[in-house]
Amino acid sequence: MDLVKWARIKSPWVLHLNTGGCNGCDIEVLAALMPRSDVERFGILLQGSPRHADLIVCQGPITKQMRDRVVRIYEQVPEPKFVMAIGSCACTAGVFQGCYNVLGGIDKAIPVDVYVPGCPPNPAAIVDGVMKLLTKLKES
Amino acid sequence: MSEIVNILLAVLYLLVFPGFLFLFFYGLFCEYFDRKLYARMQNRVGPPLFQPFADFVKLLAKEDIIPEKADKGMFSIVPLFAFAGVLTAILYIPIWRTDAVLSFEGDLVVVLFLLTIPSFALFFAGWHSTNLFSQIGAVRTVTQLFGYEIPFFFACLAPALIMGTWSISGILSQTVIRPEVLILLILAFIIAVISLQAKLERVPFDAPEAETEIAGGSLVEYTGRRLAIFRLMFNIKMVICAALITALFLGGPVLFPAVPGPEFIGYLLGFVVFLLKTLFVVFLLTMMRTVFARVRIDQLLKFCYGWLIPLSIVQFLLLILVRSMGWFA
Repeated sequence: MDLVKWARIKSPWVLHLNTGGCNGCDIEVLAALMPRSDVERFGILLQGSPRHADLIVCQGPITKQMRDRVVRIYEQVPEPKFVMAIGSCACTAGVFQGCYNVLGGIDKAIPVDVYVPGCPPNPAAIVDGVMKLLTKLKES
Repeated sequence: MSEIVNILLAVLYLLVFPGFLFLFFYGLFCEYFDRKLYARMQNRVGPPLFQPFADFVKLLAKEDIIPEKADKGMFSIVPLFAFAGVLTAILYIPIWRTDAVLSFEGDLVVVLFLLTIPSFALFFAGWHSTNLFSQIGAVRTVTQLFGYEIPFFFACLAPALIMGTWSISGILSQTVIRPEVLILLILAFIIAVISLQAKLERVPFDAPEAETEIAGGSLVEYTGRRLAIFRLMFNIKMVICAALITALFLGGPVLFPAVPGPEFIGYLLGFVVFLLKTLFVVFLLTMMRTVFARVRIDQLLKFCYGWLIPLSIVQFLLLILVRSMGWFA
């Protein structure tokens, strides 16, 4: 395994992005970032700016108004970048499916690498999702 | 022949020890030490030893974006400028014996000046990114500069006042002759550590890069290798500021009392003592980061002008009294 790939796996920096969810999954993502689950042992750090991030953690369905902004934020993240969809709404639009203002799941606007279903998913499940992504990266 | 040796020696000092290579690894280690200690104080495991290195390599390998509206020249040159300024400062700070690699009367002022360059680099970086968040961060950086810089200068000049010399190596060799003077400088040491925390823009004085409100401040638009250089620069700045405080207030690499034996053993021991003392300063900084929460920028200024500067004037008056009475001479 080369050095760059190793470094990428060891240091995924996270951007926390709500695309129109109900705030339930946000709280669970923040809980996953708290000292109790200690994601810093995997090198995960929360970043404020999309320019510093490697991994966009999206919650909520994409509303029609949010679509352009999500695409723009996705384009602001430097390559290589990954996207996680957290929660049922982010995976499939969930209970908001077919609403007049909802476009659908995150993958309607930007490519998604990992889906973590649940309403809301457990913080441990979110950390497990990140680990699955890193394993996938390691094997690629 | 000796000229070539001198040039080679200068290159060695600049690039290997105590210059770039040593600072690179020690800076990354100090970041690890800081983050690990922070994690342990929060009762969690924390990052592994290679974490800062992995972050650095990953950032080097990421896509490099320059915003369309940014000033391209300034945007690219500012990180290197700050990095060079910080690296130069180590040459004047004693690391393994009482003399630094270079020293002259007044090098304390030069080091203080070189350590101010990163703040201005951060200002220019933020301003020329032409991003609203980064411009707010840039203005906050400069506002904060006027708060912490005066007490930091006062605190660092206090040893110069009592020792009667403006060179760091001179202060250190005076400290060896009369170590009891350091007791007088406890107040200046506390002021220096607190204002150093503000200088390094770490919690509780991290309003300029508050990521929850202005998304990371001046560095919002920085990606890839430029961000990596900026982060490395911050780590090295922390090391050098800790080394400066060690040299001024804690006796630097000098072990009391001096050990007998060949010279190089003394140098080696001095180097180990230097590492331990700088890690102690980093420990104090981490302690502050863990215990306190962020203050607003106006609270910082009020604290600096209301408490730190009056206290440093009290320290000055004390030292002037001691000198004029001829105590501790």
